[in-house]
Amino acid sequence: MENQKKDISRRQFIKASVVAVGSVAAIGLGVEYIKKFDDSDDFQKILRPPGAILEDDFIYACIKCGLCVQICPVQAIKLAGINQLLSYGTPYIDVRNQACDFSCDSLQCVETCPTAALNFVKFKEVGEKAVEEYDKTHDYSDPGYNPFKSQITAMKEAVRMGTAIVHEKTCLAVKGKGFKGIARGAEFKGIYRSPQSKNKRPEPLNSIKFDREICDLCVTECPIGETAIILEKSESGEKVSFKPKILDGCTGCGVCVMVCPTEPSSITIEPKKD
Amino acid sequence: MFDMIKSGKDKKPLPPKPMEEMPHVKLGIDYKTWCDSQPHRNKWRYIRWSVLVFMNLLFVFSFWLDLSLLEGSLSGSRLFGFYLMDPFNSLQELLISAKTGHIVHLTTNFFIGIATIVIFYFLLGGRTFCSWLCPYHFLAELTEKLHDYLVKKKKIKEHKFNIGLRYVFWAAFLLLAFFTANLVFEDLNPVGIISRSIIYGPGLILVWVLALLLFEIVYSKRFWCRYVCPIGTTYTMIGRLSPLTIRFELDKCGYCRDCQTVCLVPHELWFVQRGKATQKVHYTGSDCTNCGLCIDTCAGEALKYVVKGFDKF
Repeated sequence: MENQKKDISRRQFIKASVVAVGSVAAIGLGVEYIKKFDDSDDFQKILRPPGAILEDDFIYACIKCGLCVQICPVQAIKLAGINQLLSYGTPYIDVRNQACDFSCDSLQCVETCPTAALNFVKFKEVGEKAVEEYDKTHDYSDPGYNPFKSQITAMKEAVRMGTAIVHEKTCLAVKGKGFKGIARGAEFKGIYRSPQSKNKRPEPLNSIKFDREICDLCVTECPIGETAIILEKSESGEKVSFKPKILDGCTGCGVCVMVCPTEPSSITIEPKKD
Repeated sequence: MFDMIKSGKDKKPLPPKPMEEMPHVKLGIDYKTWCDSQPHRNKWRYIRWSVLVFMNLLFVFSFWLDLSLLEGSLSGSRLFGFYLMDPFNSLQELLISAKTGHIVHLTTNFFIGIATIVIFYFLLGGRTFCSWLCPYHFLAELTEKLHDYLVKKKKIKEHKFNIGLRYVFWAAFLLLAFFTANLVFEDLNPVGIISRSIIYGPGLILVWVLALLLFEIVYSKRFWCRYVCPIGTTYTMIGRLSPLTIRFELDKCGYCRDCQTVCLVPHELWFVQRGKATQKVHYTGSDCTNCGLCIDTCAGEALKYVVKGFDKF
């Protein structure tokens, strides 16, 4: 009697185990199938925060804790929803709504990541090198001694989230038009620290009134500066034309996208490819 | 096997104990009647729920009010700057990164986080996490009532499975992570999903959590916690030799088995059945979530939280 009972329960356990393993295997097949969609070119890639490692590694290295989301002072980082399929719960930046403007001054999101899905090693090295360079020309005893600025500049310049692409069809500068007023309307909530501003804290974009003869917001508001984007002037006879030109220094931070007054944006970020 | 020896399950059951010393016999009434005359307690349940809600709200307010007390979510967090890592998530992470070579990049904080959690839950009894912190446990505890009601009304049938199924799922999810090189379980994990949803805002994925709860209501009581959740299984392994458990005293037991009825893991209270106990004193094993429901429900106060080794004093 007792043995018979044991036999039945063992048989039931094996049956349930087979179902369990089968369903997990089915999930595995499903994941492999969804991966194909993820990899296809039609699928809109999301822009990862600074320091993100290659996407194939990022997808498992990120444990979806959201520490990077919490540390970001301008709240540029969001967690992806289920519409991003396997990237559910991983961080991304929607630069049109809120770009990364480096106002944390130390790439905190990268530093805080415990699993190195955002890998800080490169930035640490670059920063240390910059301090060394600074020390060569400056003295400790000097009251103005402050290597921090060159350190953070070097660190943020080493970021490569993606690259900006200018869409000439809609660009005001290409059309030879200027821009006057609030860039994205009074309702827009995005904040950033303008290179022209003396304020150390990020300010709302809608608090700044621009007045440009030729629209060059993407160029002047870029936190990196002339190594990333310039307004190229070309003269052919009488006609003078302008065009924002993206250079190698572009980090893909997306401030240019956020400030672009046209709708839709005349400049977008192409996420870094492997 | 070690657990079996420790729990005394393999020993010969004690002969039936004399009931003369029991309070209801002295009063000359039925045990059930005596139980009903005792004050009904909910002490530990309310303490536990308060802790659970408080800790989960601490995550939320740390983010919303920028308090920097407890940042992150239940899959990985930082308490006053000290990292804490979900053990099953970390295990998957280690397994995949060992395969791909990413393991060399993992930060010191990551390993500090794992070590802290392992030590903490070793001391406090592994699955204490489940009943004292896990938001899914909280929801399942509430919907469980509905399930019990439906079973009582004979609207549905209860389906039970072997508790060992959890180890099958545990291994299967680890292999799944290894072969797909993706933290697949985290996409299905109701703990992480709920935690992220309340901190960073809800998403469509909550439908999955609702489906799980519905399944538990209509098909099998506490299905996810009892038979699937690999996080709980990992905590079971961590708390295998944990000093904090619940002690059972045979002398005070009236064999009513009320404790087993309220228990999430009734197999851990195997010794409360008449003629099963092999020792005068038994301790619950590592599947026990230390929720304290049995302590509250036992009118004879036969069950108690103890730190093993210190309970003699």
